[in-house]
Amino acid sequence: MEVSRRTFIKTTIVGGAGVSVFGFSLGPIYAQARGLKIDRTTETRSTCPYCSVSCGVIIHTIGDKAKNVTPQVVHVEGDPDHPINRGTLCPKGSSLEQEIVNERRLLKPQVRRPGSDHWDDISWDDAFNEIGRWVKKTRDETFVEKDEKGLTVNRCEGIGWIGGCTDTNELNYLAVKTMRSMGVCYFETQARV
Amino acid sequence: MFSWDANIKRVRELAESLTPATELLTFYETVLASQKQIYESLRGRRDWLPSGSLEADISVLREHAPSFLQSVLSVAPPALAEQAGVPDELLLEYWNNRSDKLFFPKAFLQPYAQWSVQSGALSRQSPAAENRCPYCFGKPQLSFLRVSEAGSESGNRHLLCATCLSSWEFRRVVCASCSEERPFKLEYFKSGEYDHVRIEACESCKQYIKGIDLTRLGLAVPLVDDMATAALDLWAAEKGYAKIELNLVGL
Repeated sequence: MEVSRRTFIKTTIVGGAGVSVFGFSLGPIYAQARGLKIDRTTETRSTCPYCSVSCGVIIHTIGDKAKNVTPQVVHVEGDPDHPINRGTLCPKGSSLEQEIVNERRLLKPQVRRPGSDHWDDISWDDAFNEIGRWVKKTRDETFVEKDEKGLTVNRCEGIGWIGGCTDTNELNYLAVKTMRSMGVCYFETQARV
Repeated sequence: MFSWDANIKRVRELAESLTPATELLTFYETVLASQKQIYESLRGRRDWLPSGSLEADISVLREHAPSFLQSVLSVAPPALAEQAGVPDELLLEYWNNRSDKLFFPKAFLQPYAQWSVQSGALSRQSPAAENRCPYCFGKPQLSFLRVSEAGSESGNRHLLCATCLSSWEFRRVVCASCSEERPFKLEYFKSGEYDHVRIEACESCKQYIKGIDLTRLGLAVPLVDDMATAALDLWAAEKGYAKIELNLVGL
């Protein structure tokens, strides 16, 4: 009778006498196996979102596939198979797990008033309105239409913009288009530290 | 490079710590000691080197059979003792099909195969599949992670050959049996009790390989630590996974 691999092992270990294929008694090991608490993780290859070196990373996620359980990232390491970094990571890449799960991540907009010693929560709508007013005011006050040689430059020199390398391409594209169309030149989307 | 002494030292340490796997480890210590003896005897043999062909070398190997069998039989359970014997036909049959159910040929030939690799008789080739030993085309006994790149904290994945005990570099995030690469099909099962050992399983082919992470425990010795974590194998079997290659205690 052709016995499949799985059946062969299952019947000799699990089914009956608790004896291995070669006759070792597995009772105590069986007992140990019952008491094990097993975690399930998956490994996913990804790219570090920071600088343009684009090192490979492996993200370890814990979770048991149940539909209403959100998988949780538990470890991020360099991808040893990646030709660019071969498993190494700079300090920013090494802390990627924190970038994902740290409880101090900002989840809402906040504002720090001039001279204040703390950050206040602000609603999205209020933040939009206030930022909009400040942008308009600053641009109106600092706009340079022509430089000292008389060339038309249309620069807004009073605003600087910091994008985010961990943001998506789509968001940074929109940010660049919006800011450049207003004449902003001081622009940084990448923290090349 | 494979070290018999490192394996023997580790198996003693773990056997002495009196875990449920002690019986298996004590048995394996005897097997390893006997295998080491064969290895050293072959290696020390004057005017003889392995030829790369088992048929040609078998007459020399035969000389080591009696003491090997005696040694193993002194510690083997009855069911295993029934299979005892390493006649030529069985050795050749094993060499052709590499079945992990043939304890005696597998254990007997490991030192010979290892010496064949070390002496250059079996040289590194390009096997047909990346999950086969490039020296002797054997199947992977286990997987282990070890840092290869200076400055990296991340372990490169290697496979260890069940036939000749050599290791070769493999890839992370891929099934060692069926080459499945989709992350959601590959699962890693670990118990808090063994931080450095995990079951690397595949949902596509329902097979698994034991993964030993030397970056978490540098003192681990893959072959021995696989055996010591037999509880994980029982867990995996119960969940319906089959090990790619059973080890020498049949788990």
